Amino acid sequence: MVERKTVRQQLRLLPVLPSVLLILVFLAAPILWSFHASFTNAALTGRNARNPAWTGVENYVRLLGDAAFPASVVLTVVFVVASAVVGQNMLGLLIAGLMTRARKPVAAVVGTAVVAAWVLPEIVAAFAAYAYFSKDGTLNQVLGGAGVAGADWLYAYPMVAVVLANIWRGTAFSMLVYRAALADVPQDISEAALMDGAAGWQRLVFITLPLIRSSIATNLMLVTLQTLAVFTLIWVMTAGGPSSASTTLPVLAYQEAFKFGDIGYGTAIASVLIVLGLVFGIAYVRLLRGDKR
Amino acid sequence: MTTAGRRTFEETLRRPRHGEGAWPGRHRNRGPADAALLLIGACFVLPLLWLVFGSLDAEAGYQTRLPASASLANFTAVLTPELLLRPLWNSLLLSAGTASVTLVAAVLAAYPLSRFESRFNRPFMYSILCGTCLPVTAIMVPVYGLFVQLRLLDSQLATVLFMAATALPMAIWMTKNFMDAVPVSLEEAAWVDGASGLTALRAVVLPLMRQGLGVVFIFVFIQTWGNFFVPFILLLSPSKQPASVSIFSFFGQHGAIAYGQLAAFSILYSVPVLVLYVLVARGAGGSFALSGAMKG
Amino acid sequence: MHRPAKFLVALFCATALVATSACSAEQPAAEKKTLKIVYQKTDSFTALDTLFKDAKKDFEAANQGTTVDLQPIEANDDDYGTKLSLALRSAETAPDVFYEDTFKVRSDVDAGYLLKLDSYLEKWADWKLYNDAAKAAGTADDGGIYAVPLGTDTRAIWYNKTVLQKAGITVPWQPRSWDEILDAARKMKAADPSLVPFNMYAGKATGEGTVMQSFYELLYGTDSELYDQQEKKWVVGSQGFKDSLAFLKTLYDEGLAVTPAEALDANVWKKVFGEWLPKGKMGATVEGSYTPSFWQKGGNYEWAGYAEDMGVAKFPTQHGQEPGGVSMSGGWTLAVGADSKNPDLAFKFLSEALSKKNSLAFTVSGSQIAVRTDVAAETEYLAANPFVKDVSDLVSVTHYRPATADYPRISAAVQVATEAVITGALSPQQAAAQYDKTVKDLVGDAKVVQK
Repeated sequence: MVERKTVRQQLRLLPVLPSVLLILVFLAAPILWSFHASFTNAALTGRNARNPAWTGVENYVRLLGDAAFPASVVLTVVFVVASAVVGQNMLGLLIAGLMTRARKPVAAVVGTAVVAAWVLPEIVAAFAAYAYFSKDGTLNQVLGGAGVAGADWLYAYPMVAVVLANIWRGTAFSMLVYRAALADVPQDISEAALMDGAAGWQRLVFITLPLIRSSIATNLMLVTLQTLAVFTLIWVMTAGGPSSASTTLPVLAYQEAFKFGDIGYGTAIASVLIVLGLVFGIAYVRLLRGDKR
Repeated sequence: MTTAGRRTFEETLRRPRHGEGAWPGRHRNRGPADAALLLIGACFVLPLLWLVFGSLDAEAGYQTRLPASASLANFTAVLTPELLLRPLWNSLLLSAGTASVTLVAAVLAAYPLSRFESRFNRPFMYSILCGTCLPVTAIMVPVYGLFVQLRLLDSQLATVLFMAATALPMAIWMTKNFMDAVPVSLEEAAWVDGASGLTALRAVVLPLMRQGLGVVFIFVFIQTWGNFFVPFILLLSPSKQPASVSIFSFFGQHGAIAYGQLAAFSILYSVPVLVLYVLVARGAGGSFALSGAMKG
Repeated sequence: MHRPAKFLVALFCATALVATSACSAEQPAAEKKTLKIVYQKTDSFTALDTLFKDAKKDFEAANQGTTVDLQPIEANDDDYGTKLSLALRSAETAPDVFYEDTFKVRSDVDAGYLLKLDSYLEKWADWKLYNDAAKAAGTADDGGIYAVPLGTDTRAIWYNKTVLQKAGITVPWQPRSWDEILDAARKMKAADPSLVPFNMYAGKATGEGTVMQSFYELLYGTDSELYDQQEKKWVVGSQGFKDSLAFLKTLYDEGLAVTPAEALDANVWKKVFGEWLPKGKMGATVEGSYTPSFWQKGGNYEWAGYAEDMGVAKFPTQHGQEPGGVSMSGGWTLAVGADSKNPDLAFKFLSEALSKKNSLAFTVSGSQIAVRTDVAAETEYLAANPFVKDVSDLVSVTHYRPATADYPRISAAVQVATEAVITGALSPQQAAAQYDKTVKDLVGDAKVVQK
């Protein structure tokens, strides 16, 4: 009887199999291979292309000695925090909040404008962003029209430009999440607080935000993971430059693996990226768990 | 479980979908909110101007400027079967295929994860999610090797399966949370009537989470629609390549780019996903109900 | 719990079925000989596609039972390179004949991807018609020849005659040394301070353009070099390297070139071709022999008056020393895959594709410099644009990049050095020292030579 029960319990998990198989074959296996390759001198071309040799932790040692690496980690963290955690997340919440108060047609029109940037194919969005921030692009023309001196954004402030571009492109997701979450906040609770004379910001901080806390944590996790992987946007806008002022880890990994054909070194950088994703992930899981208890 | 989970699903649907009280401020005074929103909206539209102007300008560069004379020359230039229609059809095949495979696999996986408590659930969910932080360029070399070994290169179906695998972590996560919002009590009634688990899933649970399934579908669809690197590497015949790859036709030798045509193509290429979004958003009652998907 | 089990079995069967059908669709016909050809094609670059389609028709007619499978890759240069490298990694996917950048030849030979062609070339009558520089382009470190060029390019000074004349410089202009360039540029600046008198690329943004169209013209005109061919070692600590950086610094510091911000925009060259030169806002720049293709009818920046307004000059050596000029060449080749199952047939196809007729058509429509002497003598070739003869003559002073497997990183290090100098981050001395250190770290002390 006991045995039958466990068999039955395991049978219940059978429907998970197609997903597990797909993920194992097409995702987990390549990731493991990449991890393995980071301990070799595998290359796209040159002497080691066909017979890569095991080099142990050499790639990682080289990584630690590479001046470009720590800078790249910092830039990646800055990019994620500024564009995802602060930018997309906060702006998404703000827009969703304003939408609950604005006239319906206004909310609908603005919502579509925000979403349009999100559904654009990445390469198109990247070109649009490049044209927007380039020296004689739309932004400087608008600023010039308003009598403000523009700047050469992609040269002087490359990180600002790519961060703003990623906020532009990704805010829709957070906006949709928060719109739905705010719609779920029971009206009576905040109305009661309104009766008690609580000021607007007090209701926001003490009532609304705690109520949608799990949405915030999940949203943060998803936008963070997605932003960590952003490559095309930066590649098209600045190609990691000038110098390496906007070379985040995905850009660095791409340069090493494809431009220089050094697969081993490139995959070592990608492994660091996974570790970074884990660090962020664990932080958010903590945030979520705190909510459950 | 959060509050929404405890309410019945119908209740959730019936409740008014605009939680005005949730955001600080008085209800009557809509002016400032309108103004602020419109300002933000304008900022989001500005970067798109280049696309519109460029597509109408026969001599477009990468600088934004009002076309000296508007012409549809760029559109007529790209409106050919080889340049636009066939790639769009391929995009549709790949995106719809990937979204469908993902949806079916995600629903099957989400069901036991949502319904049966197991030690296996949590670690499983978190470990698959972590894979999503890798840019796909980072694993393209082994994936190519894998496709060579399995003789899957140039197969649209295999490409669909790979893209489904990359989309699955997010999809399972979202689907499971949607499913958590459907109360178990409804299925129990079906079980009493002798229905098996999967019958109950099909007859009771899925109809109740239609909206959520729409969200997952469109989410995967949009991601696949814009994916360049995967089909570029895994498909060989130009006749199988989607629009995200054929967009590179506008990049010539020595780095030259046909900007006007690129802009016109980009617009035509983006319209289908915008339309799909509008359709699904409408079906979902205006707010594109992501709420269910986001409860951890 | 029977139903779910049944359902799953059905699902697996379906998956398996689909998987096998996908496999079987892949199998090519068994006995017939098939040659797989991989090359680049885009909407605006169809010259090669035309060439291969013609060659396929003729070849299949002449060799019954042989199928030529054309697999064009629609992509920019970088992505094309990536996909080709991936295909070359395994014997199963490697093409028989493919389009290969000269600057990848050596590293792909190291990787064992290319077939040595010496024994085939001996028997190919047309090979004698190729000029020596072209023969060198496909030569690897072992002295063997692994690739046959389709065409080549050279680099020269392109100047706007009107701008020069306004500054009192007589045209045709031919500077004899670096100082004469600076003199002329200063005169232009004095005549019209809003001008960009003499531009040379610098920085990472313009990539290979920075080295091919700027730095190497300087370095190869000094008494130093980048790579010692005899010893097969990279040169460090040379005076020529510092002088070249110093020259760029002078250009940028005195405002004779574009601003550093403009130089570090990857699209700067589009303004050079599309705006500054046609509108007379730039005196001169160093660019490739394909320059007229941008201005000709159907080009990206059509400019009817370019033939009258523009002039071309040889880039001088530092002090006018022999041979009196410098140029750099790149270009693309055709190569045969080392794993080709029918190497004889593959070479036969390669020689068909490079026949006089095909070469001529490709050279003209692709704005290439002919590598076959019989093509170079054709009036159709010489009449393609007014500058063909001038830029073709530069083949006598041209150099190819030392494109070993290490080269892309070395080139990147050079670009970094130029960027540091023009932005004022480092002095030429410091930037050269940093370059030396980077090179030593990259290739190891054993592969550098102090000069």
